Amino acid sequence: MENAAIFGWALLWIICWGALGGVVTPRIYARKDLEISQASFGGAVIGAALGPFSLLPLWVATPKITNRLIGIAIAIVVGIFIAAFALADPDNLCVANGGFVISQLANGIVIGIIYGLMALGLTLIFSILGVVSFAHGEFYMIGGMVTYFISAKWLPGVSPLVAILASCIVTFAIGYLFERIFLRPMGSGEIERPTEYAILVTFGLAFFLQYFTQALTSAVPVKAQRFFPFPRAELPADSGALLKMTPGNVTIFDAVSIPNPRFTAAVLALLMLAALLWFLYRTWVGKALRAVSQDRQAAAVTGINPDSMNSLAFSMGAMLAGLSGASLVQVFSWLPQVGIPAAARSFVIIVLGGMGSLPGAFLGGLIVGLVEAAGTGCIPDATRAAAYIPAYGMVILTLVLLLKPTGLFGREL
Amino acid sequence: MNPTALFRVAGAAAVVILLLIPLASSELGGLGPLVLSGYVMHLAITAFFYAILASSWSLLAGYAGQFSFGHMAFMAIGGYTSGLIGKFIRFTTAPSELCTDIPLFGSWWLVVLNIRRVGTIDESCLDMAKTETLPAGTLIVFPPVWASIAMGLVMGATFGLLVGWLVLRLRSTYLALFTIGFSEILRASISAEIPITEGQSGLELVPLFPAGLLGFSSTSKIPPYYAMLLLFLVAMAMMTWLAGSRFGLFIRAIREDEEAAAALGVNIVRYKVLVFVITSTLAAAAGALQGHYIGIITPNTLIILQMSLVIAMAVIGGLENIYTASVGAIVITFMLELLRTNITIGPLHIDMTLWRLVFFGLLLMLTLRFQRNGLLYPILERISRGGVAAETVSIRAAPDEDEVDVEDEEHPPSGPDENADAEAVNDHAESDR
Repeated sequence: MENAAIFGWALLWIICWGALGGVVTPRIYARKDLEISQASFGGAVIGAALGPFSLLPLWVATPKITNRLIGIAIAIVVGIFIAAFALADPDNLCVANGGFVISQLANGIVIGIIYGLMALGLTLIFSILGVVSFAHGEFYMIGGMVTYFISAKWLPGVSPLVAILASCIVTFAIGYLFERIFLRPMGSGEIERPTEYAILVTFGLAFFLQYFTQALTSAVPVKAQRFFPFPRAELPADSGALLKMTPGNVTIFDAVSIPNPRFTAAVLALLMLAALLWFLYRTWVGKALRAVSQDRQAAAVTGINPDSMNSLAFSMGAMLAGLSGASLVQVFSWLPQVGIPAAARSFVIIVLGGMGSLPGAFLGGLIVGLVEAAGTGCIPDATRAAAYIPAYGMVILTLVLLLKPTGLFGREL
Repeated sequence: MNPTALFRVAGAAAVVILLLIPLASSELGGLGPLVLSGYVMHLAITAFFYAILASSWSLLAGYAGQFSFGHMAFMAIGGYTSGLIGKFIRFTTAPSELCTDIPLFGSWWLVVLNIRRVGTIDESCLDMAKTETLPAGTLIVFPPVWASIAMGLVMGATFGLLVGWLVLRLRSTYLALFTIGFSEILRASISAEIPITEGQSGLELVPLFPAGLLGFSSTSKIPPYYAMLLLFLVAMAMMTWLAGSRFGLFIRAIREDEEAAAALGVNIVRYKVLVFVITSTLAAAAGALQGHYIGIITPNTLIILQMSLVIAMAVIGGLENIYTASVGAIVITFMLELLRTNITIGPLHIDMTLWRLVFFGLLLMLTLRFQRNGLLYPILERISRGGVAAETVSIRAAPDEDEVDVEDEEHPPSGPDENADAEAVNDHAESDR
């Protein structure tokens, strides 16, 4: 970084005015007897955006803090942040090379879709059972492991789709068994303080599954072959300016380059997402699931069995995690420990999106994917940038908990 | 003998036995047929270390109902703070001029050493200063171990306060979500910042006691045994007092029903943060002491496995009682070592280093499901009932309906400062009814 000072001062400016706005605005709104539910968060982002130039008018005029106002303020903050970064480090690839930026963005979106799918499983479980599954990362890990072992070890040559299907069945079955044995008694009042019990018992499951897998497979990293290599193609022929495909990569417009494994994983995730939406919104069982998430008693009155919906939701959530693991085992190398950072990332996503919100989980996944791509691509010291990948998510989590604990689409907690 | 007195006597006997155990160590020639090797003494020290962690975690999770998965992170904060102070801070009687000098009282200076780059043989600035700028006869003093451990405690408390203030305003699930990430990020940054923390190769710490203290050699296990035992006993005494005081009553009220506690005037956020800070500080103290005893601390102490083990110890022993949690920790530490030998049955080779963890994971889940209060609880409950059936106790305890008012006036409810372990046990009996 050439002018690290510029970036540091800009950051300090944003943080100080943001903090001031976040603290003072709700008091002013409360004194004028206005609604203050959004005042703290809104004041913080508006303060961070333009400092005194936006805070003073806000305090004088005290308009209703709408989502649009907050959206504009967030856009300005992000703009200032990027501008400061560009001024501070003009030679950075992220600033100097447009193609690199677009590639990073595309890769961030692609990986974000898969993160979103995994978080969707977690948020589905939370919305029906009211339980955060701390074993979510282990289902992700098992999904990848099963896919790898079937496609590479036990039945080499079989279509990867079979392996993915098998991993779905395995994770679904484990989820179902666990729910029946350990979570079902929570509903019947047999267990005191069910929330605490659920935290601990899913954590115990994570511990058990992780070391069970490690004892069976050993701790050597594995990585699956590309599932569906691209055909070789160039458009227009010979020059490849529009589209260029090799088995391992696709390049669009000579600029955006997406590796094949990520691309297929994202396509799989999108297909699964479409299937999930169809299931939730068009079938009787899906509607019943959503009904239970809205009001358990009322759903039970109309003849839906909430207990079986619990089982279904938990096993489907586990399956979604397994599926994202299955599609990512060709992207990352796989270890029994691989689930922990993935689970931590899913926690960030569901808190960011709002606990229990399905669109929130998906949008949160995209945001986290983009932030991680920007972080790994733009931080000058490459090894350090890679080591800090989990940190980007934590920064987001801290900000969300500080500013808006209910997340983007959260229900009141 | 009534149960309370029985528990007191048993506790006193346990303390005496723990204090006398070093007499049987091989360094002192053993006690008749009983000779404990240095390895067993080491295990005992490790067992106390885990017992402090498990019992403080049980105060946080079992009493206050706040589930933190970052207990080991605070442990590591304690250890690393103490280690980094030992690595980077010196006291001198003259300014070095090459390092960062901070004037203290009199002619003393606090010198912060430079961060050396990895892979180069940069000289430490103080070594250079010795030959160049420092006048002859300048004293260079290492920070005392107790002071750096104390700083470790302060850092543990500070981080506990920050994390607690951020997260404990929200529901308890958020604490679990946040701390798991906090612990991962701490591990990642310790591994990445190699020039400061030495990364995976581990930060070396100075020994707990100077060699030759009271005639013990530098590898002797007896002084660290007493140091860790002292910390363990102090921690237990403090937590017993806390659990029996108003504070303990309030945090249990929060665990049972936050809204109800708040409605009755308990400042729930303040008490939740307070209990989080206290338990984090205890974890940091254990970490700093263990770091100095082992002599090295690595980011691997932060992996989720370590946290899972502490949780398994507390839960299997008995989560809602600091005593059962610590006994569980001591028993499981020794069991983990006993289960270490690999088994070969014909062609089948079983790697016990992994399968024992699988076993404990399964045991953890089954304990939670079928014996919520831990495997030691039925024994304790039986003792506290005095051998009579649970039904008899509840019939005896239930007053006749028309006598209720009279009973209450004649025997005001006993104060919370009664013996806490008996009270905790009574608690279980009550919650069971």
